[in-house]
Amino acid sequence: MRILTLFMAMAFALVTACRRDEVTQFQANKSQPMAAPPIAAPAPPGMAGEVEPPPTATGAAALKWKLPKGWTEEPAGGMRYATLKPPAGSGVDVSVVVLGGPAGGELANVNRWRGQIGLPPIDEAGLASSRKMVESPIGRLSVFDFTGDGKTKTRMVAAIGTAQDGKTWFVKMVGEAGAVGASATDFTRLLRSLHFNLAN
Amino acid sequence: MVLVVASTLAQTRLGLLGAVNGYIRSFLVWWPVPGSDRSIPVFPGGGLVGLVLLVNLITAQVKRLAFSWRKAGLWIVHAGLILLFLGEFITSAFQVEMQLAIEQGQTLNYLESPREIELAVLDVTDPKHDDIHSIPEALLARGGTIAVPGTPLEIRVKSFFPNAELSQREPGGPEPVATSGVGASVAITPRPLVTSDDEINVRAAVVEPVADGRSYGTWLVSSALGAPQSFIHEGRKYVLMMRRRREYLPYAVTLKKFSHDIYPGTDIPKNFSSLVHLSNPVSKEDRDVLIFMNQPLRYAGKTFYQASFGKDDTLSILQVVQNPGWLIPYISCVLVAAGLILHFAISLSRSKNRRPNALEAT
Repeated sequence: MRILTLFMAMAFALVTACRRDEVTQFQANKSQPMAAPPIAAPAPPGMAGEVEPPPTATGAAALKWKLPKGWTEEPAGGMRYATLKPPAGSGVDVSVVVLGGPAGGELANVNRWRGQIGLPPIDEAGLASSRKMVESPIGRLSVFDFTGDGKTKTRMVAAIGTAQDGKTWFVKMVGEAGAVGASATDFTRLLRSLHFNLAN
Repeated sequence: MVLVVASTLAQTRLGLLGAVNGYIRSFLVWWPVPGSDRSIPVFPGGGLVGLVLLVNLITAQVKRLAFSWRKAGLWIVHAGLILLFLGEFITSAFQVEMQLAIEQGQTLNYLESPREIELAVLDVTDPKHDDIHSIPEALLARGGTIAVPGTPLEIRVKSFFPNAELSQREPGGPEPVATSGVGASVAITPRPLVTSDDEINVRAAVVEPVADGRSYGTWLVSSALGAPQSFIHEGRKYVLMMRRRREYLPYAVTLKKFSHDIYPGTDIPKNFSSLVHLSNPVSKEDRDVLIFMNQPLRYAGKTFYQASFGKDDTLSILQVVQNPGWLIPYISCVLVAAGLILHFAISLSRSKNRRPNALEAT
């Protein structure tokens, strides 16, 4: 009887102690929604993660561009104003995001992007030396071009522009360095074509 | 009785779940010594009381109850009671409660834990699917380095906060807790754990993803941060996200309509119901199911109850319970009832037989 009691107590302790303490792996289709009810109260302003939710940009404030030949445009979703894709198979991703106000400033955003490809942060001097300017109908754009380390190098070309209404626009291309290089000329052409929809 | 009263009173301090875990499901009731981090056991918990009762019942059964046809009814009654005790142990050990919070028109193939969180590391490189690696809260709380199987990644846990308050970091304030992502502009203040039902612990951790020996900086992850944060290693994009612990299902549920019926002319609820579509590509099932109060959907070992709602009646919250021992109480009750009936029948029969014999003796 003692053995039975001891066995039951040990079995109970074991099953309750050893549950769910290991890393598990799943595969899920992209099509399923990612959104979930927040666990706690909504995050404080500007802390909703990578970027804060984009303000609606319609009418005269809607950004337009001339899509390079072979590129496609996907519907907006999540934080993005638009997602553009260079010719199929390149694996390069181009995102367009709009944020209200200065959105943390140029240096903070550039260092956030550098962190995403494993590069250390830079200071104001480094920022100035890596900035290139591109003219577009919406104004002058600051363009930054960084390449990460590793066997498969990741390259990121990103442009920041501020509209007259104070909103900040981000157009970012990221992918394998060779593929990004092949699309770089088209990307610059895209930046130069940026304009606001004045038809409405 | 003492346990029931004490756990009822403790609900004001610990909340319903805390009281049940601390008093009813534990083997010992622990009392935190004031001014110290130590706790001492002060009373047997519900688990120990149940175990003693179970052992007592089994012992009495074996030692005192004769194994004879005349006692068959009592044997069955006792077997039913033993099964009832075992069922409670199985329930407390194996029952898993999850939630399915789903909006009208939305299709989901995962459940979420209402209490536990996970750090999800997602490889979102493939255009068709995501590879999701879930690091449970217990591993994060333990700290150290956590290898992510199937990837070159390891997550170094710098700090873990069971409850914390996040706020915008003021210029000139303390050093940021993280060097990358949104954490570089966030200040974090540890808070004591809360246990009552209307409060939520905001979990947070500072982690350092390292891949092939290269550090991607330190990142703040928290259940209070909305959007995911990401980095790219060797052409693969990884997303870090602290969220409710998920359980993925081999089938999908779509909420077609949620109904909140009221009695005419009043605001008094009459009925809540969710019309869902169940789609299982494995069993090729495609059917509509109406879930309403006291009429849950039982499917693939899980029971979906209508639990709550929100977002102007467009969001339905289903409580999903998986309990491998859910049938045991029913079987126990049947056994006890059958045993009592049998015992009564045997006693009646013996009494009838005894009467003529007694008359003959007179």
